[in-house]
Amino acid sequence: MERSPVAVDQNFSGATGDFPALLRSKGLLASAVIAPTQDAGTPQKVWQPTEATTILAFKFSGGVLVAGDRRATAGNTVVYDRADKVLEIDRHSIMAIAGVPATAWEMARVLEHSFQYFRRTQLQEMSVDGKVRALSKLLRDNFGFVMQGVGVVVPIFATYDSHPKPETRLYFYDAMGAQFEATDYAATGSGSPAVRGILYYENNWGAKPLHKLSEDEAVSIALRALDTAAESDTSTGGVDRMGRIYPIIKIVSREGITTFPENKIAAVFKETVA
Amino acid sequence: MIEEPYRWVEAIANRREYIEAQLASGSPITALGYGDGILFLTVGQTRQKIFEIYDRIAMGAIGHPGDIERLRMAAIELASTEGFTRSAGDVSLRRLVHYSLSPVMKSAFEQVYGPPYLARMLFAEVGERPSEDLFLRVEYDGEIATKGATYAQVRQDFAVLSGTRQSGELMEAFLKSQHAADASFEATLNSALEAWSIGHMSLQDSDSNELPERTAVVKYRQEQLANRGIEAALLERDASRAIRFRSLPDTELRSLIND
Repeated sequence: MERSPVAVDQNFSGATGDFPALLRSKGLLASAVIAPTQDAGTPQKVWQPTEATTILAFKFSGGVLVAGDRRATAGNTVVYDRADKVLEIDRHSIMAIAGVPATAWEMARVLEHSFQYFRRTQLQEMSVDGKVRALSKLLRDNFGFVMQGVGVVVPIFATYDSHPKPETRLYFYDAMGAQFEATDYAATGSGSPAVRGILYYENNWGAKPLHKLSEDEAVSIALRALDTAAESDTSTGGVDRMGRIYPIIKIVSREGITTFPENKIAAVFKETVA
Repeated sequence: MIEEPYRWVEAIANRREYIEAQLASGSPITALGYGDGILFLTVGQTRQKIFEIYDRIAMGAIGHPGDIERLRMAAIELASTEGFTRSAGDVSLRRLVHYSLSPVMKSAFEQVYGPPYLARMLFAEVGERPSEDLFLRVEYDGEIATKGATYAQVRQDFAVLSGTRQSGELMEAFLKSQHAADASFEATLNSALEAWSIGHMSLQDSDSNELPERTAVVKYRQEQLANRGIEAALLERDASRAIRFRSLPDTELRSLIND
C-alpha cells in the first residue's frame, strides 16, 4: 500500500522534534557517514583544510560582534566578492562560516529549521546548550565528506542566553564537531592566525580589554583585524577600497541581532583604518 | 456484513453521531483578521489550544488531545519539509489542508474498522493584505469550510470553531455584523471575546438559536474572565520578520477589554 502523505506513525520524528532525522527519513539530507574511498593504486588523498576566508567574533560592551569578509574563492580564483558568511539562524543566534559554501549554507539552513521545528513541535524554545550541540552533531555527520576532501566547514556560533544567567555566549568548532566556548574572542578561516594575534594583543595590552570596548571601537578593531588578514592571505577579501565592499558585521545582544549598517562601517573605516 | 452498503452507511452515521457528541463540549475558538494581522483567541482551557504551524500559519483545535497532537505534528512536518526543500514562500495553507490533511482525515473517518480523528481544526494564514488572509476549518471527516480567498463566495475576515454547529453559527452571525477587516487591535480583541462568550453561552444553553442580549453577553464574559485566563496568539502582518506567530500573554490583554 502506498504510504500516506501524512505520517500517522507514533514513532515519527515530530515527537522528538529532531528535524535532521525527519529530513533523513525522507531522503532529503545526505546520510551521516560516508567512508573515505581507498584506492590501492593512488595514495590516499590527504585532507587539507580549505577553509579559505576569515571570520572573527569577540565580546564587547554591547554584546558579541561577529564579522566576516566577503570573498569566496575556488583555488586561486576569486569567485564572488559579496558573499555573506555571517548568517542569522534565529532571533538571537548567528552562525559564521569558514569553509565550503555549499555545505555551510545548507548546514545553516538545516540548523535554522531545526530550531524552529523544535519550538513548534515541542512548544518550548531549544536551550542554548541544545543549539550548540545541534551544530556540533551536524559537523560530526558531515565528517565523512570532510575526509573525502569536500565539504569542510569550521563555524563560529554566537548567541544570547537568557537562562540561567543572562549573557552572550560564543563558541567555535573544529571540523569534526568539537565545540569550544570562547571567553573573549574566536577566529576561524585561513586568515585567522593574524586575526588571533591581533585580538590577543588588543585584549591584553590594548587601550582596553575587548569586553570594555564601545561599539565603534569594536567595529574599528574588527575592520583592522580583517584588513590585516587580507594583507597576507589571498583568500580573505578584507576591505575592498576600490569597490567599496565592506565586511559584514553583526551584533548579538539581549535585544536580538543588529546588522551594523554599511554607511556606518564606511565612516568608522575612513576615520580609524584607511 | 459491514461490506454491505447499507451497513456501511449506518456505521458511518453512527460514527458521525458519536464524534459530534464527543466534540460538543469543545470551547469556541475565534480567528479574526484585522489591519495588523490575525488574532486567534479562546478562553480558559486546561490544555493549550492555539498553535504555531509555520511562519505565517497558525492552528486552533478542539477534540481529543492525542488526535490533535498527531494532526498538528503532521502539519508542522509537512510545512517544515516544504519550507526547507523549497522556500518559506512555497508553504501554503491551501495546499497543506486540501492535499494532505483533508484526504487523510476523510479516509480515517470512512474506514470503519480503524479509528477516526476526533478533532476539528481551524487554520489561518496571514497574507500581505487583509484580502489575502486565508481561513480554513477542517472537520473530522475531512470536510473543509473556507472563509476568505474563496472562488464564489462573499469573503469574510474571520472564522470560528466551536463544539456545535449552532454555537458556531451564532458566533458567525455576531461577527458578521460586528467585525470589520479595518478594525483596530483593541476592537478586534473585544469582538473576539464577545464572540467567544456568545459561542460558549450557546454550548451551555442549546435551546435558544437567537443572539443573546448584549448586556447578558457582557455579564457572562465578566463572570468567565473572573476565574479563567485568555489564550491568544497573533499572526502579524508586518513583513520585516519571517516568523509572524506570537503568543499574547493574558496580562497584556486584560487592560484592553472594554467593560
